[in-house]
Amino acid sequence: MTAALTVTGLSVRHRRGWALRDCSLSVPAGRVAALVGPNGAGKTTLLHTVTGLLTPHGGTVTVAGDVAFMAQDKPLYDTFTIAETLTFGRRLNPRWDGAYAAGRLAELGIEPERKIKELSGGQQAQVALTLALARRPGLLVLDEPLANLDPLARHDVMRALMGEVAERGTTVLISSHVVADLHDTCDWLVVLNGGRVQVSGDIDDLLAGHLMLSGPDELRPPAGAQVIEESRTGRQVRLLVRGAQVLDPRWNVRQADLDELVLAYLRSPEASALPRLSEVGA
Amino acid sequence: MIWLTWRQHRAQILVTGGLLAALGLLLLGSAVEARLYVAGHAPPGCPGRAAACWDLALALSERYDAVYTLFGWMPLMAPALVGVFWGAPLLGREYERGTQKLAWTQAVSVRRWMLVKLGVLGGLVSAGGLLLSAMVALWRPVLQREDWFGNIGVFNMVGVAPAAWWLYAFAMGVAGGALFRRTLPAMALVVAGIALTMPGLFRLSEHYAEPVRTVQSGSTVLNADDARVVGWAWIAPSGTELPSPPTGVCAHRPDTGRSGRNQEAYERCLFGKGYRYAIYHHPATRFWRFQWTEAAILAVGSVAFAGTAVRRTLRRRV
Amino acid sequence: MIEFHLDRRSGVATYLQLVHQVKQALRLGTLRPGDRLPTAREVVEALAINPNTVLKAYRELEREGLVEGRPGLGTFVQRSLGGVRLADQAALRRELDEWVRRARRAGLDRDDMETLFSLAMTDAYRGGAAGEETA
Repeated sequence: MTAALTVTGLSVRHRRGWALRDCSLSVPAGRVAALVGPNGAGKTTLLHTVTGLLTPHGGTVTVAGDVAFMAQDKPLYDTFTIAETLTFGRRLNPRWDGAYAAGRLAELGIEPERKIKELSGGQQAQVALTLALARRPGLLVLDEPLANLDPLARHDVMRALMGEVAERGTTVLISSHVVADLHDTCDWLVVLNGGRVQVSGDIDDLLAGHLMLSGPDELRPPAGAQVIEESRTGRQVRLLVRGAQVLDPRWNVRQADLDELVLAYLRSPEASALPRLSEVGA
Repeated sequence: MIWLTWRQHRAQILVTGGLLAALGLLLLGSAVEARLYVAGHAPPGCPGRAAACWDLALALSERYDAVYTLFGWMPLMAPALVGVFWGAPLLGREYERGTQKLAWTQAVSVRRWMLVKLGVLGGLVSAGGLLLSAMVALWRPVLQREDWFGNIGVFNMVGVAPAAWWLYAFAMGVAGGALFRRTLPAMALVVAGIALTMPGLFRLSEHYAEPVRTVQSGSTVLNADDARVVGWAWIAPSGTELPSPPTGVCAHRPDTGRSGRNQEAYERCLFGKGYRYAIYHHPATRFWRFQWTEAAILAVGSVAFAGTAVRRTLRRRV
Repeated sequence: MIEFHLDRRSGVATYLQLVHQVKQALRLGTLRPGDRLPTAREVVEALAINPNTVLKAYRELEREGLVEGRPGLGTFVQRSLGGVRLADQAALRRELDEWVRRARRAGLDRDDMETLFSLAMTDAYRGGAAGEETA
């Protein structure tokens, strides 16, 4: 497993304090990684550092191949036509698949002579995505790609993206503050909270490694379990635990789902699920 | 990158080119007309120091009052406009629209993006300034004026000065965009900056060289064409320079109205008593020395502004 | 050809939904041996899901011997489901009917029974992959 993106010890300081503090994570090649966290967790800062828009105060970012970036508001030059926007892509990128870009926009029914500002939000998102994809990047970074899009446009953008991953094995890093958006599309999870990486790993492994337990409140947590979150109502206790074998039959055991897992970590900022240091960059 | 620079800034390039062309036509038209007028009215030996020549030049300047007014504002307005419309939006507009996140994440490096934009646009701006300078240099003699050096307004529109001023204003606008990340404050910075730099440099220009000291005994008017006078003083018969005109030696009655009779009488009296008059000035032969000195100062300013803009752009912090 | 759909609220893992849909099509005969399953790209562009999910579902089907991946050509159906299995189902159904009757006699209501049933299912399928422990 080679890493498409490796970040080690990344720190970025704001005027009011740390935006990112000692962040380390890696995303293996060919994965679709979700970067989730509450607003203000530092997601955009992390993405801007990965794409070179920000210079970090410390730490390193290593990317295998080119990085293409679609920023949150999907900026394009308003006064450019579609054709000029594609010329922009061709002139600024030595590796540029013009036939693909033109073909994809023709398929979507976006005429080359129209101006960017005449397009709908969904169409602009498609043009911005095409601009990023036609570069044939090794790593595609998307900041809240679904924000401000209607459900149809969201589905279209995700379909295009997943098709690209299936076709070319592009590694993708998507940020979102809505976990549900990324449910079916991502297979790698990075949880960022208060400028620190709290969780980083394969989603299936994470889900398999965490259990949701409920039972009478006199029960002790299973031996060796890391309790991520604990909540008590009446005589019942509910635990989200990591890395435990549950032998006591009084526990009602089920697998946690992705939303529960993310929420539990976000509510317990001191907990973390990170690969051992030796695995970072593996 | 050059395509992108043209595509993003073609409006400024075309408008500036159009304005220069219009100005060229205006100057050409007035020059042709003035030549005809001069052919009909000029006494022989003009331009020269004869009073008739002076009258002719005066008549011409009245005739071309509108052109002169435009001309008077140009040294200040032209660089300000260049800084406002070429410099300020270069980064300000990208930051405002968030398009720097698009432009600076392409395969072309930010350094190259900056250098091409600054290079191409800075080159065009300088070329525009030189074109203006050439047009003014061709036009001015037709109006029987040879005031390249003494008239600071003209001085700033001939030689290399316009190119230097335009480039300076452009670089200041770019730096403003990098600092404020908005176009309007960057534009305001340019206007304020030019309005401060121009009188500042005018004052400083007295010190570009040691002034020549000419001592006259008979007239307080300097007998040199197109010189820049920077100071004067009376010299007592003993040879010491006086900080202020001597009092108690000759009667000095104030003049009324526009007449200078009393002043002239006072001066004649002083010269008669052995007083002499020292005039500190820069002769017109220093034209190029002053042009290059001013251009060098502005070039240093331009480099400082451009360097600030590049540094702010390459090392981006939150 | 089979067209997949997703029930995002079911709580069933996406790859399992795909597996179930292929099996159902095999039982109903809408997929037959020799038929090609849609490529990962086709599924992904229809459903907007991660390609690895499709590949995981196909691997699962392959492991059960239902389909076979031929490099460069696609994934093809190997054998159908049904026949004998349908008879099994009838027998199982009779046993379940009998269980429901006994439960009612014991005083359990509908919700009690559903809770018991889903607990049993959860226990049986704990750990992900279906079929292993019950086969």
